[in-house]
Amino acid sequence: MLFNSIEFLIFFPIVTILFYLLPHKHRWILLLGASCFFYMWFIPKYIFILLVTIAIDYTAGILIERWQSNARQQKLCLIASIISTCLVLFVFKYLNFCSANLVALAQHFGWQHPAKALSIILPIGLSFHTFQSLSYVIEVYKGNQKAEHHFGYYSLYVMFYPQLVTGPIERPQNLLRQLHEEKALNYDNIANGLRLILFGLFLKMVVADNLGSYVDRVYAAPETFSSLDILLSMVFYAVQIYCDFFGYSSIALGCALAMGFTLIDNFRSPYMAESIQEFWRRWHISLSTWFRDYLYIPLGGNRVSIPRWVLNTLIVFTVCGIWHGANWTFVVWGFAHGLLLVLERPLRNVHLFDRVQSPTGRTFIRALNIVKTFIIVTLLWSIFRAPSFAQLSDLFTALFHNGLMPHTLHINLATGIALASFLALDILIRNSRFDQWCGQQKTPLRWTLYAFMIFAIIVLSSVEQYPFIYFQF
Amino acid sequence: MSQETRDIILRLGRKFLWLILILVGLNILYRICWYGRDLKENCSLIQLSRKPVHEHADIIYLAESSNHSYDVHDTDTSHISQMLGRHFPNHRISSLTKDACHAGIYYDVLRNIPKKNDIQTVIVTVNLRSFSSEWIYSDLEVPLQKEQVFMKKAPALFKRMLIAFKAYNHWTENEREEIVRDGIKRQKLDFPYYFPYKNAAAWDKAIGSQDHLYNGQQVSMDTIVLTCHYIKSFAYQMSEDNPRVKDFDKIVKLCKRRGWRLVLHILPDNIDQIQALAGPDLVFLMKQNANYIVKRYGPQGVTVVNNQNIVRDRSFRDRDFPTEHYNQVGRQAIADAIAEQLEELDKAPSGKNNHRNN
Repeated sequence: MLFNSIEFLIFFPIVTILFYLLPHKHRWILLLGASCFFYMWFIPKYIFILLVTIAIDYTAGILIERWQSNARQQKLCLIASIISTCLVLFVFKYLNFCSANLVALAQHFGWQHPAKALSIILPIGLSFHTFQSLSYVIEVYKGNQKAEHHFGYYSLYVMFYPQLVTGPIERPQNLLRQLHEEKALNYDNIANGLRLILFGLFLKMVVADNLGSYVDRVYAAPETFSSLDILLSMVFYAVQIYCDFFGYSSIALGCALAMGFTLIDNFRSPYMAESIQEFWRRWHISLSTWFRDYLYIPLGGNRVSIPRWVLNTLIVFTVCGIWHGANWTFVVWGFAHGLLLVLERPLRNVHLFDRVQSPTGRTFIRALNIVKTFIIVTLLWSIFRAPSFAQLSDLFTALFHNGLMPHTLHINLATGIALASFLALDILIRNSRFDQWCGQQKTPLRWTLYAFMIFAIIVLSSVEQYPFIYFQF
Repeated sequence: MSQETRDIILRLGRKFLWLILILVGLNILYRICWYGRDLKENCSLIQLSRKPVHEHADIIYLAESSNHSYDVHDTDTSHISQMLGRHFPNHRISSLTKDACHAGIYYDVLRNIPKKNDIQTVIVTVNLRSFSSEWIYSDLEVPLQKEQVFMKKAPALFKRMLIAFKAYNHWTENEREEIVRDGIKRQKLDFPYYFPYKNAAAWDKAIGSQDHLYNGQQVSMDTIVLTCHYIKSFAYQMSEDNPRVKDFDKIVKLCKRRGWRLVLHILPDNIDQIQALAGPDLVFLMKQNANYIVKRYGPQGVTVVNNQNIVRDRSFRDRDFPTEHYNQVGRQAIADAIAEQLEELDKAPSGKNNHRNN
C-alpha cells in the first residue's frame, strides 16, 4: 500500500483507532495483521520471502543467546544468519545483475555462458527489512539486545508497517523495546503524528511529484533540451529525491507517532551540509549509522593508518552504493562519495574558517561551503538517476553542447509554489522537526499552514503517478 | 473511559470539525479558481457529454476510434456517424467519439448529458474486443479511468482528492502485464464439442510456441503473433460477470430512465482473417458472443444491430493487429446497415424493437 493512496487514508485511521481500543496484550496481533495487509497490498506472495528472513533471524537470535558460553558456536550462528539473510537479498536483487555481467565478461573473452535472466520482481523494501533483521542478530550477538522469544513481537519488529517498506531502518534497542511498552492515548502524539503525515504528503505529492515530471522529461531525451534546462533538471532531481524520501520518512514517523512509537529521524536538512561528511550525517541517517556501526567500525573505523582508513571509507561507500541498486551507476555513485570524503580530509585541516573573524565573513564562508556541497551532491545525483552510463553520457554531452538552444522547460505555478515552499520549510525547520516547529507557532498561523498544505496536496499534486523512488531499493 | 481520554477525544473532535469547515471553504475556493482548468486539462469526456446539447442533436452516436479511422487511399474520409447522417438529413446527429472508449465510459458520458436535451436515439457501438482482458486492463485504460473520476457526482474538491490519491486503477507496467496474464487465464472456454484448450491462455501459448497454424500451414512469426492477438482478444465467453456486460446493463437502464431509444450496434471484426488464421473455433466463439448481446438486450427493448460479419477482409485498414478500423467501403456498409435498421424502427409501430443479424 502506498502512503499517498486513498486506501491508506482509510487504512491508517482504522488501524490507529483500533490500536487504542484494544488492550495492550492484543495490540501486537492488530499491528502484525495490519502490517501484513499493508505489505501484501503490493504483491501478496512476497510475504513468504519476508517470513523466511524473519524465521532465520528469529531462530539465530535465540541460538546466539543460548550459546553464550560458546563463542565459536555463537559466531558460526551469526555468520550463518548473515549469509542466509543476505542470500535472499542477493537472489532477488543482485543475481540478474551478476549474471548479466558474467555474460558480458564471457562474451568479451569469447566464452560461452548460458546464464539466463530470471523474471523476478524485486520485493518492495527488501533491502530495508534485510538490514533491520541483520541489525537485530548483530545486536544480540554483541550482547546489546536480549533475544526476542515471542515470534509475534519479533515479526512485528521487522514488519512494523510505518517503516516496513523504506525505513527508517530501526534498531532493536529502539523499536523492539517500544513494541512491548503500553502506549496510552496522548493528544500531543496524535497531533504531532498527523502534522508529520501532512508534511510528508506535502513533500511527496506537491514538491517531489511536480518536479518529477520535469526530471523525467529531461532524462528521457536530454538532447532535446538546452544546457540550462538540463542544469535545472539536475537541481530539480536533487530536490525531488530529497522530498520524496524525506516525505516518506515523515509519514512513517507520523504514523508511528500517532500510536506512540518514536522512530529514528532520517533527515536533518542535508542540503545545508557544509561538507560531504556532514551531508552523510544528515542524509538517510538510519542507513549511514547502520553502515557506520556494522561495517565501518568493524573494519577499523578511523583508528587505523591513513591508507587503511581510505580503503575502509571506499569499501563502505561502495557497498552503500550497491545497497541502493544492482547497477554500476550506483556503484560509481557510492564510490564517488567515498572518494570525495577521503579528499575532504586534508582540506579539513585548512582552518580557513578560524582565520575569518567577522560574523559576516563566517556566514559567507558557510554559505559558500553549503553551495559547494550542494553542487557536488547534485552532480553525483545525476549518476544515481541515470539508468545507464550511456544515458549519463548523453546527459552530459547535451549539457555541454546545447548551450545555445532555447530554454523550453517552463515552470508552472504548482512547481513554483512547490519549490518556494520547500526552500522556506527546509530553512525554517533546519534545527527542528516539522511537528515540533509547528507546535510552537500560534494557532492562526498553524491552521493557515494546515489549510494551505491540504489545499496544495489536493489541488496542486500531480495527476500522474510517481512511485516513491526508494521503493526500488 | 477516563476523564483524560474523554478530554482528548473531545479535543480531537473539535479539531476535526474545524477541519471539515476548512475543507468546505477550500471546496468553494477550488470550484471558483481551479476546477474549470482541471476539467479542461484532464477530462475531455465532460466536454463530450455537453456536445449533443450544444448541437441540439436528436441522435447521438457513441464510438471509439472505429468512427473516425480511415485508410490513406480513401477518397471519402467521413466518419461513420457522418455517413449515417446522410441517410437522415432531417435529423441532427452528434458523435461522441474518444479513442479506446468502451461501455463503462459511454455510461459516464451518457449519465453526464445535461437533463435538458433533444436526444431521442442513442446509438452505442459494441466492440467485442472491449470485453477481453487485453482491453479491460490495457494501458489506455488508466487515463480513461482518471477522467471517469472527474465525472463522478461528488464535490469538486473530493473528486480532485481522489485524483491526487490515485483512487483509480493505476497499475505499473509490470503489474498490468501480470493482471492481463491472469485475466487471459480466466477467459475459460467451454465448447459444445471437444476442444484441447481450457482457456485463452492455453490456446495462446499453444499457437505461440509453434511455427504453423491450425491447418498445418507454416507461417511467419508476425502471423503467429497476430493470431495470438486474435485469440487473446476474442477467445472468451460472455457472461453477466464481465465488467463490460455490467456497463451495458447500466446503459440500458439509464436510457430507459431518460426516455432515449437505445440502439446497440455490434462492430464488424475481420472474420475472414480470423477464420484463416485461428480457424472456425474462434469464429464460433465470436458468433456466440454476438448472439449473447442480441439475446440479452433484445428482449429488454433494445435494438441490436449485429454487423459482425458485414465487412470483408479487404476493407480492414490494419494488417498487423486486431482493430476495428475500416476503409470507406467498410464504414459506408456499417452506416447503411444502421440506417436501414433505424428506418425500419421509424416505420414500425411505437414500442416495437427489433434486432437484426447482418
